[in-house]
Amino acid sequence: MERATSFVSLRILSNMIPVALAILGMLIANFPVSFLGGHVAPPLLALMPIYFWGMVRPDLMTPFWAFALGVFEDLLSGGPPGVWAASFLAAYYMIDSQRDVLAGLSGLGALTGFAVAALIACMSAYVIVCILFGMLLPVAPVLGELAMTVITYVFVVFVLGAIHRRLVGPLRSDF
Amino acid sequence: MANGSWRIGRPRGGAQLPLALLAALAIALILIGKAQSNLFDRARANLSDWASPALQVVRAPLAGLNRFMASIGDVFSVYQENLRLKEENARLRQWHNQAVVLDDRVKRYQLLLHAVPDPALSTVMAQVIGRSNRPFLQTMILDAGRAQGVKPGQAVVDARGMIGRIFVTGDHTSWVIQLTDLNSRIPVTIVPGNIQAIMVGDNSSLPTLDLLSQNVVLKAGMQVVTSGDGGLLPPGLAIGTVVANPGGGFRVVLLADPASSETVNIVDFKLRPEQPPAVSPNDLPAAAAGLPPAAPPAQQAAPAPAPVAPLATSKPPAPAPAQAGGDPGDE
Repeated sequence: MERATSFVSLRILSNMIPVALAILGMLIANFPVSFLGGHVAPPLLALMPIYFWGMVRPDLMTPFWAFALGVFEDLLSGGPPGVWAASFLAAYYMIDSQRDVLAGLSGLGALTGFAVAALIACMSAYVIVCILFGMLLPVAPVLGELAMTVITYVFVVFVLGAIHRRLVGPLRSDF
Repeated sequence: MANGSWRIGRPRGGAQLPLALLAALAIALILIGKAQSNLFDRARANLSDWASPALQVVRAPLAGLNRFMASIGDVFSVYQENLRLKEENARLRQWHNQAVVLDDRVKRYQLLLHAVPDPALSTVMAQVIGRSNRPFLQTMILDAGRAQGVKPGQAVVDARGMIGRIFVTGDHTSWVIQLTDLNSRIPVTIVPGNIQAIMVGDNSSLPTLDLLSQNVVLKAGMQVVTSGDGGLLPPGLAIGTVVANPGGGFRVVLLADPASSETVNIVDFKLRPEQPPAVSPNDLPAAAAGLPPAAPPAQQAAPAPAPVAPLATSKPPAPAPAQAGGDPGDE
């Protein structure tokens, strides 16, 4: 009985890790610190766990969590509500529909896969905001954010992979 | 970075229906947010109140690291920087002396003219605990809220000039919309010349100017300050300097640097309603000329027989209603 309880609690903990990491990334991206003097937008750190676990363990990163994280991002960043929720869902749709292809990529291909997902998220947000404000906004800041996100993913993916192998997989004991 | 070794936990395309439902929900959220932004502002204030302890805890070490990273480059230019600062300091001392003399002169003129003194401003000091520098918005979170007397609309300034204004307040946190944000529109005055304009943020670092009159000529180097129109912001807060836009028109280089501001002041400005002086019978033109006051004209809409008797009296009009309505502040 005790073992079963422990198993359930470990399973819940492993379920929480991807979403908790996405929330942590969101908080980090909104810290009042910029190592580039505020000239470039911070990377979309929340998108990285969504892409990573949306691809390898969609049961841990469901569409609901992509939506909820987007709402959280909207609230924390101060922007119009629903923009990042819809954008993360658009990226999730790409991940879900191309999962077999994306999971088979490695090296530069894996980075390109993430870049496409980030491009979809950024461009969806850009289009929605342009419609909301009724004007064509400058594209350069969006491209800057996209570039920062892709560059940062090169380093973050190793951390996510290590967490997945050492924590998420063993805690669930079914991977 | 290889993805090939991952085993997928669910078949492809298994999330299509929930995705469609959630996408519809997201679109509804966007539309509701557009129509009822107050709902989300309240949620946003609650969220920042909830997250503020975490933001405050990590702020200090990260700010220290940020300062250290920024100072690495400064090491190589410290000598030149020191020389430049000494020269600037000498120049500023001259300006300071001139400002003291002029300030004294202005005060004497105000005394002679019985000028209305400038409204007193009180401020609340706050720390920046969150900053969103996204492509579509530029906001900050401060660690002061309703409990400290912060209200939406109040101006936020740093030591150099205005940064933005409060747009949402929580119990212990508040949100600042920066002057560079897409949603920012501030009535400003451009001096010299007292030119009225609206400064509009477009998410670039240099807000644009919409002039309210077409018959004015702007020049680079003019100063931009708040005009105080609308009574929300105090007049005369320093904002920036006019520069020519290479693509045409003019933009404003802000004096403040929102990206590096850590401590800011929230300006509590209460514009007292203008009180007209109480009207007395002596203020009437006839009384001032030494003539007896004229009787009020006959009311045309009233029936003929009734008002004849009161109008026939030669008593002056009673000043009581005018006095009572003229000075509500005495009540």
